[in-house]
This record gives sequence, structure tokens and C-alpha cells, in this order.
Amino acid sequence: MNTLLSLADNLQTFWGYTGFHNVESGHIIMILIGLVFIYLAITKEYEPLLLIPIGFGMLIGNIPFNEAAGLQIGIYEEGSVFNILYQGVVQGWYPPLIFLGIGAMTDFSALIANPKLILIGAACQFGIFGAYIIAIQWGFAPNEAGAIGIIGGADGPTSIFTTSKLAPHLLGAVAISAYSYMALVPVIQPPFMRLLTTKKEREMKMKTPRVVSQTEKVLFPIMGLLLTAFLVPSGLPLLGMLFFGNLLKESGVTRRLAETARGPLVDTITILLGLTVGASTQATTFLRIESLKVFLIGALSFVIATITGILFVKAFNLILPKEKKINPLIGNAGVSAVPDAARISQSIGLEYNPSNYLLMHAMGPNVAGVIGSAVAAGILLGFLY
Amino acid sequence: MTSTIQTALFIAIVGILGIFIFMIIFYLLIKGLDKWFPYKEEKPEQDFVLDEIED
Repeated sequence: MNTLLSLADNLQTFWGYTGFHNVESGHIIMILIGLVFIYLAITKEYEPLLLIPIGFGMLIGNIPFNEAAGLQIGIYEEGSVFNILYQGVVQGWYPPLIFLGIGAMTDFSALIANPKLILIGAACQFGIFGAYIIAIQWGFAPNEAGAIGIIGGADGPTSIFTTSKLAPHLLGAVAISAYSYMALVPVIQPPFMRLLTTKKEREMKMKTPRVVSQTEKVLFPIMGLLLTAFLVPSGLPLLGMLFFGNLLKESGVTRRLAETARGPLVDTITILLGLTVGASTQATTFLRIESLKVFLIGALSFVIATITGILFVKAFNLILPKEKKINPLIGNAGVSAVPDAARISQSIGLEYNPSNYLLMHAMGPNVAGVIGSAVAAGILLGFLY
Repeated sequence: MTSTIQTALFIAIVGILGIFIFMIIFYLLIKGLDKWFPYKEEKPEQDFVLDEIED
């Protein structure tokens, strides 16, 4: 009889540790959202390199367990494997390493060949500051508003880096929001691009960019680093690594290092970053009204960035000579979702003029957007950290 | 208008101006690079041919 009672006790204890006993509706909701991410990544191919790790991370982070038992398995439990891996996000180590890889895979030729396009990358940062103001209006504290605003830069690593410094408790919501909208750039931007441009503007062809010398390509990251370091030192972790990666690529004598930075290194960090950001959306800490607000403001910030980029090009065209005018369809590309935003410019341009290839031109503002959002992050950190 | 909103507007204005100033300096820098180091058609290397002649 005693043996049976002991067995029953053991079974009851075991049951208390299972996911079935600890599950709450929030876990189910987050697991379903994770499954949607995985579905979108596989069937629609929306940013699969990010959405698969994030989606699977959401499944891992929302497996219910007895949090009071001290099993050291949850991402927020000090000493657990996931908690150790998550330190790269919390302490802001992963984003600069991602930027190193981005630098090693980015060709800045389009920007160097037509440097006025860099201003579009500045105009789109209205998305960041617009969202920052909206977040303040909606009751967020200034540091939280800064973290939320950075979503408008359409740059996952920059968003994570800034949020880890300004409002670590919003990391999950901001990161998921930034990556979700980056994946949805092909859905969010085109309606505004069509709405704000005329048929004639969409058909406009741009002058073929000039050839860029190797010396310019090598000097660009060095000059860029020095400019950043002196003007916006707080943007140094991101932009310093971006330009370092680019110098590895362009110097021509560090091919192995460049290949490692843009290949195995960036892939490893992407896996760790995506998985831990996904796992950080544990229902008990993530499912709050604040997260919903972050998502709404994030969507608005993308819209503001797209609109201001296009309107800026239209205004800029008023003062440019006829042969140097810019097709406003590349205005959307000033956000730093590389290269998706540039691809959208190309595909919409081709719809209206099958011989109009805008990709090369759109890559200019697109890489300028990467620099612009990192500078914006540096400015916000300078004011709010 | 509360002081929080006023401060936020100030940061937003300074921020966007700061980005434009940064980008304009970057623009001038790239223009300078183009002026000082313009693209030149690269000549094919002669060393190999010279080596062969020396042999």
C-alpha cells in the first residue's frame, strides 16, 4: 500500500513538472505565433534566416515548466544555458558582430558612385524620431521611447543594441517587432510607394552610375570610421565594426578574414541571436499591453520612414538638374532592410517600365540607411543612456 | 505641452539635424575621394611578360 502511495506521490510530483500541468493560455498563444513565424519563413520565404531561429526560439521559450523549481532551464534563470547565450543580446555583444559581417558583405560602390543618395538614408530616419515622439505620447518613458523608436530604422541588430542599453525589459518586444516588420517590408512599403508617386515618376530612368576606383573603396571605410568616431562616438560599436568588416572586404589582402566575417561568423551569431531573442518572448514576461503598443508604434515607424524617404526624393528633385533626377521609387530604400527594400524599388520600377533597373541605384540609399540608423542609435544613446 | 514632450521634440529635432549634418559631411568626403582618387583604367600587368623575355 505504501509503495503505491509513494508511486502516486512520485507521479504527482512528476506531473507537477510537466508542461501539461504548467501550461497557461499565454504559452499556447506564443507557441502559435512561433509556428506562424516558421510557416511564413518556409512557405513565403519571408526572411527565413531570421524567422526560423526566432520562431523556433519562441517555441523553446514558451515550453511551460515549473519556474519555482529552480531547474535552470528558462532564459531568465541565471546560469541556464539559454541565459548564458542570451547575455550576448542583453550585453549588446551580438549586434556589433553582425555588423562586422554586414560590412564584409556590403559593396558601398553604389553609394560612392552617387553620393547624394546618402541623404535619402538620412531622410528615412524620420521614422525613428517620429516613432520616438509617438511612444512618448503613448506614455512610455523617454528611454523606452528611444528603444521603440529605433524600430523605424528597420535594422534588427541596431534595435537590439539600442534596446539592450536603453530599456532591456522591452528587448523581446522590440526585437520581434523589428524583425517582423523587416520581413514584412515587401507588404508594408509598396502601397505607399504607389500612392505617393505618379506614373511618370515611376517610369523615370536614372543615369548609369560611374565606375568606382579601388582606392576609393579602400579609403571609404577608414574615412567613415574616423568621421563616426569623432562625430557620434556612441555609434562606434556598430559603425566601427561595419567599417572594419568593409575594410577586410575591400583591402584585397584579408580575403580569408572577410570570408569568415561574412560567412561562418555572421551565421553563428545570427543563429544565437535569433534563437535567444525568440526564446526571450516567454509568455509570462512578453504578453503585456506594452508589447502590443510596441508593435503598433513599430508599424507606424516603418510607414513614416517609407513616406519621408519618398517625399524627400520628390522634394530633392525640385532642385536637381534634369539629367541628375532621382526616381522616387528608391526613396523607400533609405531604411536599412538590406537588400529587401532595394529589391522592392526594383520590382515596382520594372512593373511600370520593363527596362528600368533600379536595384543598383536603390542599393545606395539602402546602405546609407544602415549607416543612418546606426548614427540615429548613437544620437539616442547619447541623449538617453 | 508637457516638458517631457518638449524634451522629446528637442531630441528629435537635434537628432534628425545631426543625421543630416553627418550625412552631408559624408557626402563631401565621398566627393573628395572621387576628386582625389578618380577611377583610372587599369593597365594589364607587365611583369609576367618581362620575366618571359628575361628567360
